[in-house]
Amino acid sequence: MALDLQMPVLVVDDYKTMIRIIRNLLKQLGFEDIDDAADGTEALEKMKQRRYGLVISDWNMEPMTGYELLKQVRSDSGLSKTPFIMVTAESKTENVIAAKKAGVNNYIVKPFNAQTLKGKIEAVFSE
Amino acid sequence: MERLDLMANMKQENVARIIDFLEENKNREGEVSLTDVMHLAEVMSGSMFDFLSTVQPAVTEELTAIARQITSMKEEISQLRANDMKTNKIPDAGRELDAIVEATENATNTIMETAEEIMGADTSDPEAYQELVSNKMISIFEACTFQDITGQRISKVIETLRFIDERVSSFISHLRIPEDLEAAIEESDEERRKRELILHGPQHVGEGVSQDDIDALLGDAQSDIDKLFD
Repeated sequence: MALDLQMPVLVVDDYKTMIRIIRNLLKQLGFEDIDDAADGTEALEKMKQRRYGLVISDWNMEPMTGYELLKQVRSDSGLSKTPFIMVTAESKTENVIAAKKAGVNNYIVKPFNAQTLKGKIEAVFSE
Repeated sequence: MERLDLMANMKQENVARIIDFLEENKNREGEVSLTDVMHLAEVMSGSMFDFLSTVQPAVTEELTAIARQITSMKEEISQLRANDMKTNKIPDAGRELDAIVEATENATNTIMETAEEIMGADTSDPEAYQELVSNKMISIFEACTFQDITGQRISKVIETLRFIDERVSSFISHLRIPEDLEAAIEESDEERRKRELILHGPQHVGEGVSQDDIDALLGDAQSDIDKLFD
């Protein structure tokens, strides 16, 4: 799968400031089409209406967490192939393993820097 | 005969105290506090004291000890200053934390807006650009002053937690509650959600796994990950 800077990216986080930070970092990396959602439910609705090339999601949100969103996406035949990166403060081994088992493409622990985000996005699209 | 008369008088006097207590509290509609129960226990044990002192000194001694313990517990409860905690200390700490969230959010927004303005600025005129960057840097320094105020607010919250800790610890110590005397707590819906959805929240430095550890976990074959469960 090739990295296409024109593809729409969905950023999911319940903290507006974090959405703003990721949005700015993505813009710096050259992405132009960036959308956002405040939790898993809103993200899933948006994903059913539009085909996103990448989802970058927080874990801890209400009512639907990023972990639940990941499982819903992977169980939906129309969405299951969407690249999914978890960006979260949840840094216990069991979280990483659960995300891996649920089908996450990469996992970034907060706080993170632009280089890490860039590296993980590139890694996902070089798989 | 004299003894029976004395008992009859004492009973009448004590029964009157109990009736007075019940009369005073008859309109409570089931709202009974621990203090009410202890007060009633005090009145009841007092009534028993008069009666039993005439027939059984050993029981009297026991009842005296119980009455002393109840009085001591009342003193300990008053030292807890539970109402002060509930109506002042805890709400004040909550307000301080809300103010911290608001201040950090405002500062972050100011810093981000300023950074966005610098990033979007026209660089064709180097002098104008340099002046803009200098001015914006001052805005960023100003926004960072939130740190001093939030530090003071956090100190007040820590003070409240220390206040609660000291009083609860003293209460437990005076009641001589054994460490293993903990009632089983039924898991709340919120706790169950956190367990099922693996919500631990941020970890302290050294507690969680690092980005390098995560990369290693994700890079490993599934069998290597499975070994972690062995």
